[in-house]
Amino acid sequence: MTGEPLAVDYYIPIILFLVMGAIVPIVALAAVKIISPLRPNRRKASVYEGGLKPVRDPKIRFNVQYYLFAIVFVIFDVEVLFLYPWIYVYASEFMKRFVIFGFINMAVIEMVLFIAVLVVGLLYAIKKEALRWV
Amino acid sequence: MYLSTIIEAVSAWAAQEPKIYALAIGLIGAAIISAVINIGAMAVVWLERKFLGDIQARFGPNRVGSRWGLLQLGADAIKLFTKEDSIPRGADKPVYVWAPIIASITTMLVAAAIPFGALRIDGKDYPLVVANMDISAFYVEAALSIMTIAVFMAGFSSNNKYSMLGAFRGIARMIAYEVPMGVCVIAVALMAHSLNLVEIVESQTLWYAFAQPLGFIVFTIALVTDLGRIPFDQSEAEEEIIAGYTTEYGGIRWGLLYFQEYINMLLGSILLVLLFLGGWKGPSIPLITVLSPMVWFLMKVLIVLIFLIWVRGSLVRFRIDQVTDLGWKWMLPLSLVNLAWAAFVGLYFA
Repeated sequence: MTGEPLAVDYYIPIILFLVMGAIVPIVALAAVKIISPLRPNRRKASVYEGGLKPVRDPKIRFNVQYYLFAIVFVIFDVEVLFLYPWIYVYASEFMKRFVIFGFINMAVIEMVLFIAVLVVGLLYAIKKEALRWV
Repeated sequence: MYLSTIIEAVSAWAAQEPKIYALAIGLIGAAIISAVINIGAMAVVWLERKFLGDIQARFGPNRVGSRWGLLQLGADAIKLFTKEDSIPRGADKPVYVWAPIIASITTMLVAAAIPFGALRIDGKDYPLVVANMDISAFYVEAALSIMTIAVFMAGFSSNNKYSMLGAFRGIARMIAYEVPMGVCVIAVALMAHSLNLVEIVESQTLWYAFAQPLGFIVFTIALVTDLGRIPFDQSEAEEEIIAGYTTEYGGIRWGLLYFQEYINMLLGSILLVLLFLGGWKGPSIPLITVLSPMVWFLMKVLIVLIFLIWVRGSLVRFRIDQVTDLGWKWMLPLSLVNLAWAAFVGLYFA
């Protein structure tokens, strides 16, 4: 490429792809509406479930323990989000000014500390059986 | 050669009119790629049925289309299009209707940023990618995980306890493997010093599968989990919870959900090839120099696909607690070890 397109320009095709992704199934559903027979009745529309008559409310509750999974996930996902910009920084010219003893990169040291704190948290969560499926 | 003249003219025009160029390439790309991934997924479905048949010492489809059952998928498509479209009573209708559409949007979003091979013109590789963003590896990983929302929508809206269980399992599996997968992508990007998929491929003089074997293994397992294929298909385990989140879906709506899974499988294999197996890089083949990157690329994708089918044919399903345990207690620490290794190598040897 000779020119340097704006970052925004890359997202124009993505919007078009999003629209295309919606059009394909909608066209398929419309085609089915035209060519397939439609004779609904009460028995046909009943829920299949396990092949027996459904009992109780299908909107089942889930165990409160699963919230712990969600919380640990959010913490580690944010960690991953912090790692993405770090990729560009850690080997850059700018970070070369923060090298001690000639080879220890401070960006790496900082990330090691950051991940170490989170790993301790993960070990604690495992020890407390927060990540046990019930 | 005249091909390079055309490319120069197009890129000069693209530099002049970036917005119109983006619009044009988006329209053409959306049409071509939606056709390519749909036909590709049909080929994958056929390949899987045939290969599984061979593994289990039986014939796969072998009637329709006179040879190897080549037209079986066409017959299935006709069947799905002519079936009655019935929505179960008590279903949450808008969510139920939108779940397959969201799944289809997800696969198209992923396909927008994935390079589908390259063409070699005058010794230079031109990748076939629509949106060549600086952060395409991050974008693809983010877009892949939207699939879980489609799965949850399908399970939640079906008015069925087993569908709901499938949806819960889908979410639990996703959150257990999303982090290791992301860390593996970061480890690759650390060695490549870039998040752009094209630059990641071009930086692989040594395949990352060899440069960081641990990351390759963790990423492959996380990918199989993300695709919801057999040792990790708890969200639609038919022996335990009927058919999981697809239980109440029928006809074309089920067909759409099922098909998106195979498109996802195709795109996931391509992603694995791009990140770890050197993408389209390979020596030029005489006579078809232009197409030689394409030959290498398709060969690798085919090998990964066959590997995935083979895994399905030979392994048994894990229990859901084993899956989450594996994700949190093994995959996550191992991916962090691999990240440390990648940072070390990327800093001192690259």
